[in-house]
Amino acid sequence: MRLFKTLALLCLLATAPLAPAAEIIIASSHDTPALQRFVSDLAARRPDDHVQFMHPSQLSTPSAMPSDSRLILLGATALDWRLSDPGGPPTLVMQISRVQAHKRLGDQRPALLTLLWSDPAPARQLRLVRQLLPQARRVGLLYSDDSRFLVNELRHQAAAQGLAISAWYWPDNGDSRPLNRLLDESDVLLGVDDPALYNPRSIKGVLLASYSRKLALIGPTAAFIRAGSLSSSYSDQQDWLDDLDRLLALPPGQWPREAYPDNFKVLSNAQVARSLGIELSDDHDQAQRLQDWESDQ
Amino acid sequence: MAVPLRISLAPLLGALTTGAALAEDLFLAPSTLPEVLTATRLQQAPAAVPGSVSVLDSALIRASGARSLPELLRLVPGMLVVPQNGNSTTVNYHGSSANQARRLQVLVDGRSVYRAGFAQVDWNDIPVAIEDIERIEVFRGPNTVSYGANALMAVINILTRAPRDSHGTRLKATQGERGISDWYASHGHGWQGGDLRLSLSGQQDDGFDHKADGSDFRDGQRLSRLNLRVSQELDASQSLDWQLALKEGSNQIDNHYQPVFPIAAQPWEQDGDSDVRARDYAGSLRWNLDLDPSHSLYVQGNLQQWERLRQWRACEGQLAFSPELGQLWALSPQYVEQLGQNLQTGNFMPPAGTSEQVALATRVLQQAFATLNPSQGTLAHSCGLINEDVRESRFDLEIQDTLSLSDNLRLVSGLRYQHDRADSDVYLDGRRSRDTWSLFSQFEWHIDSHWLLQGGAMLEDDNATSPSLSPRLALNYLITPAHGLRVVYSEAVRSPDMFENHADWQYPVRDLHPAALGQSQARYFASAHGPGNLEQERMRSRELGYNGRFADLGLSLDLKLFYDEIDNLISEPLKVYDFMPSNDNRLHLKGAEGELDWRLGLQDRLRLGYAYIEFDATHRIDRRLTPRHSGSAGWLRDWGHDWSSSLFYYGADSLNQYRFERVDLRLAKRLRLGSGQLELAGVLQQRLDDEPLGWPNNNYDERRVFWISAGLEL
Repeated sequence: MRLFKTLALLCLLATAPLAPAAEIIIASSHDTPALQRFVSDLAARRPDDHVQFMHPSQLSTPSAMPSDSRLILLGATALDWRLSDPGGPPTLVMQISRVQAHKRLGDQRPALLTLLWSDPAPARQLRLVRQLLPQARRVGLLYSDDSRFLVNELRHQAAAQGLAISAWYWPDNGDSRPLNRLLDESDVLLGVDDPALYNPRSIKGVLLASYSRKLALIGPTAAFIRAGSLSSSYSDQQDWLDDLDRLLALPPGQWPREAYPDNFKVLSNAQVARSLGIELSDDHDQAQRLQDWESDQ
Repeated sequence: MAVPLRISLAPLLGALTTGAALAEDLFLAPSTLPEVLTATRLQQAPAAVPGSVSVLDSALIRASGARSLPELLRLVPGMLVVPQNGNSTTVNYHGSSANQARRLQVLVDGRSVYRAGFAQVDWNDIPVAIEDIERIEVFRGPNTVSYGANALMAVINILTRAPRDSHGTRLKATQGERGISDWYASHGHGWQGGDLRLSLSGQQDDGFDHKADGSDFRDGQRLSRLNLRVSQELDASQSLDWQLALKEGSNQIDNHYQPVFPIAAQPWEQDGDSDVRARDYAGSLRWNLDLDPSHSLYVQGNLQQWERLRQWRACEGQLAFSPELGQLWALSPQYVEQLGQNLQTGNFMPPAGTSEQVALATRVLQQAFATLNPSQGTLAHSCGLINEDVRESRFDLEIQDTLSLSDNLRLVSGLRYQHDRADSDVYLDGRRSRDTWSLFSQFEWHIDSHWLLQGGAMLEDDNATSPSLSPRLALNYLITPAHGLRVVYSEAVRSPDMFENHADWQYPVRDLHPAALGQSQARYFASAHGPGNLEQERMRSRELGYNGRFADLGLSLDLKLFYDEIDNLISEPLKVYDFMPSNDNRLHLKGAEGELDWRLGLQDRLRLGYAYIEFDATHRIDRRLTPRHSGSAGWLRDWGHDWSSSLFYYGADSLNQYRFERVDLRLAKRLRLGSGQLELAGVLQQRLDDEPLGWPNNNYDERRVFWISAGLEL
């Protein structure tokens, strides 16, 4: 695997100088200072390309756009615009979660579209469970109608890491029974980025119920760490820029149909760890250990 | 104070929490999520606790098969559970007297169920169903600093399941040998911002089977309970939690009154039994306020009423109702004893004494002659109603403030007021009350990643004894967050109860038939009075301990060495014929304890507890209870396909002078019913010893008992 990656990197280096300058269009329905900064940072990374931001309403139909341009779409609304037309330039879709994409596409992966998942990679999160809680074997997983499709994938990935998924369907946040039954048969709770399950209204109940049993929540995203989740991997702008830079250097034909970011960090809640008696090395070290593990795979 | 706190907490999660960084990073959206596990809500890790704590979690409680709280406590090392009979049990930690268990604090969701009037915990009457308990935390050691007087030797903290975690319907029925018949029904429901749990339950059994002399032991119990717990979020930072608990039942007691005079009473003249009707009512209201993530407080008020109603008809020689004999007893019980001894030996002369004593004794002897039946050698008797009704009530109000000054320094402070009232014609000649104020504060300071210093004190003052200050200081060395060594020094007190200190014990007897010496109601001659000047019992405790969790192995371990000294100990048994409580005794306890909880893979869990105790007691009554070796061992296994089993062993080499060994086996099968489940379980208890349980009368016909239960969760 490592050999393959090295070869891929060599190919990339060999092709990079030959890659012609490209028109890169970033589209998002929300224009914010943070977005502008992202656009300018990407432009700085790609001095030979022409990077510009456009609101979807300013864009013509995808098919009408130059086929040698590159589209970078941010968010589900921009994806909806793109899905209205099967033609168009090669497109990288960011800030889209597995659940959001599944609602729109099911298992389909349209050509010319590369989905870059915003939610943490499940294998990475499971590995984080192993790193932080080596004794945990039964990983509790809640799922809703929207996230049901993830269960089997998680089961396989967990089994590969010596973990067992215990999954409970939780269709109604107002009914705590599935949550409590799940916690009764789990050593740790793994959150998936499904707003039907984990949202500002439900998170208090989830965290108090798991904490009362001294069980940690891993994930669903770094945004939940402050609320009381123990730890999660995440990718910030720097990580995404590194990933984008790598992909944009490749001919679009080599882009994967979907991918989790290669670059990531870890964020943990030290106070929660201390209360649970969990030895926590610093987040940088946790991320490094995950990266080492992924390199070995 | 809130402003510097916010600043100190800002670095909690680094750049992610600061607005500037969020504005710069497109992929770290500002969070709209509430901070749930705040610095004030988080609890200490086991290795950082300033003492030893046993936790009985819901899985363990269920697996134990226990039907009562005291039976559960057998799992806690050093906890000595001794039934007085089938419906009354005492629980002591390490030692003192099996007759009384005055030195533990017991709380149900923060409400003390320790009866201050009579210094006892009526375990079987606590209005809480085992099925409603989420966990029991037992702080093994003095903790007056946190819980006030009476948390002298240990604190048992019973936490019921939050309404939020109790949704749905649960039904359970239990039937078995020895008249076991229990039931439980609860329903939980949630709405926007609120949750409710209503539980109804009942329990019944026949108690022990026979006394030491082989006669039937009438000591069964029957009870029913109602519990309502409601929580309501008022807004993002405030919530209310209120509870109602009602318990009603009857505890069987034989009419075991033994006349002191020779009489020839017929069985139909008196009641065969003298059952206690026991009712407990409690209500509590708690207001939680999160001022900010590092500062929270709560105010909790509790109102409770205990009723023990007992009235029965008994017979006694009419001479017992002689006012002169009563006066003579009040002057000198010893003189009356001497008079009695003279009578038994056929000496009908008053013993030597003061002229008043001799004059009274002469009058009593005349009364004796007048009621004597020379042919039978008995005295004329009368039968009347004795009423031992006791009503106690308590109102208490506590405000507790938790302030996290920084990531490494937390303060918990509070103020508490308690008003206790006891009402008993027999024991207190009416009503007594007591007001108690306490002020407490403790700090928790993580000096660095290894050293943790915790200290605090409680100042307590009531209108019956002098004020007391109970300090505690603990130093933990955390080898890692999961492994800690600790050195703890603490002091604690127990206030004498109203009865010990201010008893006004006398028996007014009503409806005497026939009239006794011309009286249809009269006072029984013997009486007793509390000394009124008893001081608090004082304990000094030293503990050296280790707590560790080996995450790789799934093993948690707690070890401790202890040396406790209790001085000013009130040991004397309290009898109406012999009522002389004093602060003259002491009890020293030392030993070692260990507790292990080991999850071996997914299927198995082992749990071991062991206590080795040596003691030195000045009063004989404190030398009976403590076993040198005691402990428990449990093996919980999940066999797959929804079958599970648990096997527990409990043993003590000499529990109140009797060997105790028992094995409990529970086998359960769970059946999935859609989203619900049905659990069928059988429990077999097998005694391995062949001795009474704690006291000579506590005997079963069979060493084995079996019961089954069916529990439905929907």
